[in-house]
Amino acid sequence: MTELGLRLAVSLAQIAAVMGIVMLTVMILTLAERKVLGWMQDRMGPMEVGPYGILQPIADGLKLFFKEDIVPAGANKFLFTMAPILAMVPAMIGFAVIPFGPDLTIDVFGISVKPFVISDINIGILYILAFASIGAYGIILGGWASNSKYSLLGGLRSAAQVISYELNVGLAIVGVLIMAGSLSLVKITEAQAGGFWHWYVFAFPAPQIFAFVVYVISAVAETNRVPFDLPEAESELVAGFFTEYSGMRFAFFFIAEYANMVLVSCVAAAMFLGGWNAPYPGTILAQLGLEGFAWIEGVAWFTVKVYGFLFLFFWLRATLPRLRYDQLMKFGWKVMLPIALGNIVVTAIAMYIYNQFK
Amino acid sequence: MTQTTGTQRLIGWLKTITFYELLVGMKATMSHLLHYRPITLQYPHEKRTLPDNYRGMLALLRYDDGTEKCVGCDLCEAACPSRVIRVVSAEVPGEPTKRYSKEYYMDMTRCLFCGMCVDACPVDALGMTREFEWAVYDKRQLHLNKPQLLAIGDRSFPVREKRLELQHPNVAFFNVAFKHVPQKPN
Repeated sequence: MTELGLRLAVSLAQIAAVMGIVMLTVMILTLAERKVLGWMQDRMGPMEVGPYGILQPIADGLKLFFKEDIVPAGANKFLFTMAPILAMVPAMIGFAVIPFGPDLTIDVFGISVKPFVISDINIGILYILAFASIGAYGIILGGWASNSKYSLLGGLRSAAQVISYELNVGLAIVGVLIMAGSLSLVKITEAQAGGFWHWYVFAFPAPQIFAFVVYVISAVAETNRVPFDLPEAESELVAGFFTEYSGMRFAFFFIAEYANMVLVSCVAAAMFLGGWNAPYPGTILAQLGLEGFAWIEGVAWFTVKVYGFLFLFFWLRATLPRLRYDQLMKFGWKVMLPIALGNIVVTAIAMYIYNQFK
Repeated sequence: MTQTTGTQRLIGWLKTITFYELLVGMKATMSHLLHYRPITLQYPHEKRTLPDNYRGMLALLRYDDGTEKCVGCDLCEAACPSRVIRVVSAEVPGEPTKRYSKEYYMDMTRCLFCGMCVDACPVDALGMTREFEWAVYDKRQLHLNKPQLLAIGDRSFPVREKRLELQHPNVAFFNVAFKHVPQKPN
């Protein structure tokens, strides 16, 4: 009984730490996005709150917290309340299987704990995909429950877009799964150790470069970001599915969007870019004899990869205009899907031949 | 019809599959990020220098001796395209040949700062100042009357020498003298 209690306490501590880090990242992202977009457009971004506007996320949070919470007349109150929660919980819950650092095991009062992954379940990536699909419910129900035509249109667009592009995300990572032979993100990351030529983007015998491109594009579409931001196209649909939302409910949708960005970046880093593995074999800290601190380097590399990915999101947003709806569908079904399917066939054949001659 | 050769089609196809056009755009945004030179000003803290012919808040002007320039001719009211100005003209008491504006109202909520009233004024009684920070909480505060407009003129044009052609006695005749203010010595 004490062991169960201890395990529970350790797990809760891990969850609290990961949630804290994710929320901190979301705060940093809201500021970083505005700053990077500003710099790319010869502006300054927020400059008023704190030196160079670095306290802007706190001011935004306070503002949203104290705003009036409006439920529009004719809205379905229950679903209207549920939708932001349905959007945010799946975005947060996916971080449970993300390995943030090396697969260490430490003993805490007699029980073994993996400090850098909350739960190393053997169907990790499947779990993430399943919950990402549930996240679409939040958007669709939020759009429907608002009793507003713009929200409904945004929700419908989101439904079509998520169906089209989650398929591509799922198919793009199948190549990696064939090569790794596992669904666990920890095992997939470990299989990529030993230099960047072992990362699955470049790995022999079937480099997943096409799958990577398909994954990146589909991930941008799945998180409803520019240039695939049709569900919240502000020039056409006011704000899309969260037109009628205000205050903390709006903040929940907002946090969910950014948490989803972080999640897809983490998955991309873990599956294609070697996760916590450095682009050179081993770690510098281990070479220097600091074996006990090698995990710092691993976590740092993971952070660098994730933030590089997030920067790509901002960069795309600053550059590209929004796709038209038929272009979006055509691109998803006629271009991305055949590439992903072709990649699976090629990878499967290459792995079969490789395993015959190994 | 231009005939596309096989090489051109191959190049076009290669550009499509490598997202060449997107990469050109992304290079442009990245170059702006790397050569970061913001063109915005942090407005309340730093203000841009206004051009010399800036058309800001309207004001009624006085001569150096404190006399109002306005002769109540109503030409500004006629020139105004937005019907901002309302002039109530009257004779100067005791001097039947002289007129002045008894009341002068401007509804600045409608003003579009075209400057036509300033052009129309025969005695340069109207001026456009360089004030532009006139945001108010109550729009009724933008319905200005004569003392307010004169006050704006006083604080914006502290030096108001008569234009040379207006110093001629025939023209100066139209100006209303304030009896309690000592005349300009000349």
